[in-house]
Amino acid sequence: MEQFAPVKRSGDGQPVRYLIVDDSVFARKNLASMVQSFGGEVAGEAGDGVSAIAEYDRLTPDIVLMDITMPQMEGIEAAEKIVRAHPGARIVMVSSVGYQENIVAALQRGARHFVQKPVKPEVLYEIIKYVMRDDQETAQSAGA
Amino acid sequence: MAELRELFFESAAELVEKLNEEALRLEKSPGDAETARSLRRIVHTLKGDAAACSYRELSELAHELEDALALESQSPIIAELALRAADVFTAIIAAYKGNRKLPSLQALREEIARLAPPAGESAAPGKSKARARPASMPWSEYERLAIAQAAESGKRIHHVIVRLDPRCGMPIAARQMIQIALASLGEVLALYPPDGTTPVDDRIEAALASESSVDEIRAKCRIPTIAQTVKVTPLKVPAPAQTVPESELKEHSEVAPKTAGVSAADEPAARSDPAATAATAASAGENILRVDAERIDTVLNLVGELILAKSMLQQTLVKFSARFPKDGLRAQFSDAMALQARVLSDLQRSVMKIRMVPVDQLFRRFPRTVRDVARQSGKQVELVVRGEDTDLDKGILDSIAEPLMHLLRNAVGHGIEAPEARARLGKRPQGTVTLAAYHQGNQVVIEVSDDGGGIDAQEVREHAVRKGLLKAEEAARLSESETLELILRPGFSTVKEITELSGRGIGLDVVQSVLTRLKGSVQIETSSGRGTTFRLRLPLTLAILRALLFRVDERLYALPLNAVNEITRATEDQIHEVEHYEVLRLRNEVLPLLRLGATPEAGAKTAKRKVFVLVVHRGDRKFGLLVNELAGEAELVIKALDDQALKTSLVSGASILGDGRVVLILNLIALVDRFTGAGANPGVRMAGLLANLNSAPRSQHSQTLGMAGARA
Repeated sequence: MEQFAPVKRSGDGQPVRYLIVDDSVFARKNLASMVQSFGGEVAGEAGDGVSAIAEYDRLTPDIVLMDITMPQMEGIEAAEKIVRAHPGARIVMVSSVGYQENIVAALQRGARHFVQKPVKPEVLYEIIKYVMRDDQETAQSAGA
Repeated sequence: MAELRELFFESAAELVEKLNEEALRLEKSPGDAETARSLRRIVHTLKGDAAACSYRELSELAHELEDALALESQSPIIAELALRAADVFTAIIAAYKGNRKLPSLQALREEIARLAPPAGESAAPGKSKARARPASMPWSEYERLAIAQAAESGKRIHHVIVRLDPRCGMPIAARQMIQIALASLGEVLALYPPDGTTPVDDRIEAALASESSVDEIRAKCRIPTIAQTVKVTPLKVPAPAQTVPESELKEHSEVAPKTAGVSAADEPAARSDPAATAATAASAGENILRVDAERIDTVLNLVGELILAKSMLQQTLVKFSARFPKDGLRAQFSDAMALQARVLSDLQRSVMKIRMVPVDQLFRRFPRTVRDVARQSGKQVELVVRGEDTDLDKGILDSIAEPLMHLLRNAVGHGIEAPEARARLGKRPQGTVTLAAYHQGNQVVIEVSDDGGGIDAQEVREHAVRKGLLKAEEAARLSESETLELILRPGFSTVKEITELSGRGIGLDVVQSVLTRLKGSVQIETSSGRGTTFRLRLPLTLAILRALLFRVDERLYALPLNAVNEITRATEDQIHEVEHYEVLRLRNEVLPLLRLGATPEAGAKTAKRKVFVLVVHRGDRKFGLLVNELAGEAELVIKALDDQALKTSLVSGASILGDGRVVLILNLIALVDRFTGAGANPGVRMAGLLANLNSAPRSQHSQTLGMAGARA
């Protein structure tokens, strides 16, 4: 796998902590190895929207990678609930092209970015950097 | 799927045509940004359409070209490249259509790559300035109003153009990201494309009211994997905001002096027109229905049947009136008939209008033809097109495409002289070829003229004799216009070596044969050293003909009304025979006669027999057609003749009258040519030209026209 300069949290220089939400174990492992190659740490995983919310509350990760189509609760709804409870949450939607409208909906409900399946590491890397870059700014606007 | 393919081929051909047009325009005014953009839009559309039909090669090639055009819209070579591309696209499309092997795309690929090696986000400052010109503002009326109001209340408005990252496969979602980013900076007054639609050109345009700096806005919008480039310029207020005070605009200039100059230069054009035209074009597009021409023909045929039914009713009314002259129902009957007739003629006109298209549909192909032929033959030629909005039946228009192409090639290749030769003659080195269309009565006239050297009649005569088209003594007898008509004969070509350009192995005979089939005519005028004009006369429509009806040996025939110049009467003893021709002295002229019917037996009884003479023209010569009886005028709905049943060039079509009688429509040109022996045995008197037609049984005609059952 390609080498990426590690992305660190700007506040304390610690590794970025991820919550990976996908009903496919394979997809989760794939994403996990990718974020690890970015110097990140997988704080937790979830296979559906309901456990994603519970895991977020428990772990307060820096970034959530959220699949759109999942059993029990879909990614959009989970994202919306997480953002409502934690306005600073950084959620990146992960989806294939066919779910473009769902992504639009998720973005309107507070998701920060999206990445297309199949996920390319270099694309995800840029997105992670971007989402982490403006964390102070968003923390301010979230508090307002 | 097949239907989709058809639609694709049709629209792809249109797009390539437009590509040619815009490329030629760009060649004339190099560096014109609007034309360059239009060029790119066309390529973009083609790319999308091709992709939708899974024509991968075309889509990819168009994509490469589009990218190159986007990066190098100022390059002087893009016009040439676009023309080259148009040819390759045409070849690819033809290959797809015929399921043939694709042509080689490598050459074009390399040219594209030479134009624009892939470039990054920021280019040289000079270039980026040129490219940062605000494009047309494709916003809705409402949005423009919002912009105007914001401008009035003194807000700073930015025009943000985001070009999407080509890696981003989800442009609608990308648009949403941009919208959110913009909204965090201020008020998004306008955003194109509208919610939920895919950005055209991978381009998103917004009007943002914000106090943020240009750099802040740019930084905010430059979202990785979404935005490739972001341009921010102060926005000039579009259409409804003409009330905006001058000071407002000035303020903007002060805010961003660097870009203001560019915007101001751009502004008069961008202010209202592009947006407005884009809007009307879009709404017009929605209202256009593509219909198979066959369906319209079906309707037109049915209208024809209705016209027939109308005349049947009229005849019934006449009989009814004769039988019950006092009956009150008669008036009601004829009132209803009058109404019906009016509606029917409106209906007929409306349906015919459906088939009419502006000749521009065809004419727009020709600038490219003329340019190419001029280049290849080393001529300098300007094509002037007039009357391109003249309407013509679509079927006729399609039929004359090839003849016109031929005439234009001929005008450039043979008509216009080389620049040096022109200079020697004191002419401008650049020749002019004019293509003009106009209405004249019930006809459309299309003229192809050049200001070249003209045609030398003597040379034509000699050439025709050498080619064995006619004997020297016959050639000597021909008038000038008859001589000129020789060049329309098969096997005639004035240039010794057949050039690849104009000759193509076929002469101008294709012009004559098509025009004859269309019941039109060709006329040639030439003036030595001044140029040549080919004048094509075409009927407005092929379906309905205003005709003069007459009888010959008890059978009914028709000629197009506008082919008959004059009608006169004579008796048999006024007809004289001169050199095997029957002639009639008409005023002070000797009129050669064509006897359509059988020659009457000589004798005192027939000497006083009255005949009618229809005076017709062929070229500049007059002829008289001898007929037994006139039968009035009528609007004939032309039915196609089954070639099997009636194989003769003398008849061009047939129709049915209200009472069910069949009328044969005569082909005047073939008739005269047969008579004068232009085709065969010259000098032999052709009496009873139509005699063999009469032997065909009437019922067979009826069947041929598919009407027998209805009229039994």
